[in-house]
Amino acid sequence: MSAPLLDIQGLRVEFGDTAAVRGASFTVSRGETHCVVGESGCGKSVSALAVMNLLARGARRSADRLVFAGQDLLALPERRMAELRGDRMAMIFQEPMTSLNPAYTVGSQMAEVYTRHRGGSRRAALDRAAGLLAKVGITAPGMRLGQFPHQLSGGLRQRVMIAMALMCDPELLIADEPTTALDVTVQAQILRLLAELQRDLGLAILLITHDLGIVARIAQRVSVMYAGEVVESAPTAALFADPSHPYTRGLLACVPVPGKVKREEALGSIPGVVPRIQPGFEGCAFRDRCAHAAPVCAGPVPRQRGEGAHEFLCRLPPGWTATERAA
Amino acid sequence: MSTATTMVRPQETAATPAIEVRNLRRTFRIKGGLLGKDREVVAVDDVSFSVPTGGVLGVVGESGCGKSTLARVILNLLPPTSGEVLVEGRRLSALDRRARARLIQPIFQDPFSSLNPRRRIKDIVAMPLVAQGNIPARQVNDRVAEMLTRVGLSAEQGERFPAQLSGGQRQRVAIARALVLRPRIVICDEPTSALDVSVQAQILNLLAELRRELNLTYLFISHNLAVVEHVASEVAVMYLGRIVERAEADALFRAPRHPYTRALLASVLTPEPGLGVPDVGLGDTLPDPANIPPGCRFHPRCPVAEPRCAVQVPQAVATTDGAAECLLLEGAAQP
Repeated sequence: MSAPLLDIQGLRVEFGDTAAVRGASFTVSRGETHCVVGESGCGKSVSALAVMNLLARGARRSADRLVFAGQDLLALPERRMAELRGDRMAMIFQEPMTSLNPAYTVGSQMAEVYTRHRGGSRRAALDRAAGLLAKVGITAPGMRLGQFPHQLSGGLRQRVMIAMALMCDPELLIADEPTTALDVTVQAQILRLLAELQRDLGLAILLITHDLGIVARIAQRVSVMYAGEVVESAPTAALFADPSHPYTRGLLACVPVPGKVKREEALGSIPGVVPRIQPGFEGCAFRDRCAHAAPVCAGPVPRQRGEGAHEFLCRLPPGWTATERAA
Repeated sequence: MSTATTMVRPQETAATPAIEVRNLRRTFRIKGGLLGKDREVVAVDDVSFSVPTGGVLGVVGESGCGKSTLARVILNLLPPTSGEVLVEGRRLSALDRRARARLIQPIFQDPFSSLNPRRRIKDIVAMPLVAQGNIPARQVNDRVAEMLTRVGLSAEQGERFPAQLSGGQRQRVAIARALVLRPRIVICDEPTSALDVSVQAQILNLLAELRRELNLTYLFISHNLAVVEHVASEVAVMYLGRIVERAEADALFRAPRHPYTRALLASVLTPEPGLGVPDVGLGDTLPDPANIPPGCRFHPRCPVAEPRCAVQVPQAVATTDGAAECLLLEGAAQP
């Protein structure tokens, strides 16, 4: 197998004395969708911003390794990074209205991305923009180019954002909760579009989401984050077939599934709340909420490696879930 | 208008539904600007239903379908344009604020904006009791303490301010405030949409426990069908202001009849790998409540629409444990 397009090892992000990301590692290969899933504050969005070097002022980023297409991003000056952003790596966000400029037409914003990175005439850039709007399923693209963001529906705006991200043929697309603000019917359309684009263009997609349903349906690989760490990572089918970290198992039990959970039955729930990670925190961050916690959980936690690149961060050995099921 | 209020209701006993909505309509005017014409938006269009005591009616639909307007009209926060709402057989507009508060209470989506940031949690929860004006301070304190414990908050948390609590804890505060007067009916408008899944599960479990304990009736509005399936005994599907399908929850999820209900169900992404993302077949035309299509209002997006759907308005057809408004159900041909 060739080297992954994006290789992140031991990523740390700190704001003042709180660590938002504590040694997260994941890779994304060409043509692969890797989902990072977790609840608010787990560090999933911060990790994505860290890759793009778009963290808020005052945040400290470090990593053992942060490589994109053979380039060491840690050593890259911001000027060179700015050339990569929007060009070879692009990002889309949850609320397109906050990332589109309300004062410019769709066409001029899309054209600017292209002329800035690739040069050429505005006319040529607008033609390319129209072609991409059609590709993301927007009818009458010529008319849309002349419209302002507020004239579009939420679903259309997100399509515009995706088309804009594709202007320079990126190799990597980072999508942070791209469908969370949309209706379920529109969400399905946008996710289908992403899957299609990936197939056609061989894109690598890093998708940040809180929704395990989305993960199951579009990811090839999943990383579950909790309190700044990747607590479990596996190929999608393996993760759902045999969730091995107690947090992953708890999270899955919380999701109501039509036809599976009975009405009068309570949903599974995870007791307690996410702890504040103070400097010098040691041990498993989930131990206070975990039914399997033992005294050793306050010490260093081993990364267990099961079959088929299935890893999890826990004292319990690979395969422990089999004995749980038997009991 | 006043003739209806004097109507005698002889059988106002156990059979009186907790909520009864009759031919409810609510429209809004949108200013057309300097030269444009004013437009009329029909948010709720001739809606009728009832919810029995102890029942949970789930209301689902996309944004702009009128589900939140429906909630506001039922709560008497907005007057209806026409039609009426009866809560336990009474018109809310005929009751004073205090009596209304003892009967029906809301829980909204955003616990960040619905709690006064300058008040302590215990004072927020006490407010409905204090507003009654005739409950001794000591009794207010006892009931607040009891309610906080019931929703899983400590006395120490009662001393804090909203900003010092997490989203889930704030929603517990909102639930405590809604239930402290022991109302009979609670209107829940997207109560868990702003919460993480693990917190959502805690809040849904809490709402279910409280309903059983206190024999509450819920109107439960959500865009999340999986959540509605879990909590509702009956489901109403709204599309552009109308209830296009209503059925007992199990029947609706097992055998949806309206093409829109089927599309909504198809777009639920359950955590089952390998199934991919379904093609819901709705196309790109989005519903515009200011411009409701003629004939069946769903026909521009309907994957099985026929030519007659563009001209003929569908009537409600009885289905298993419910009703649906689809022309294809009216004819002999089943979609």
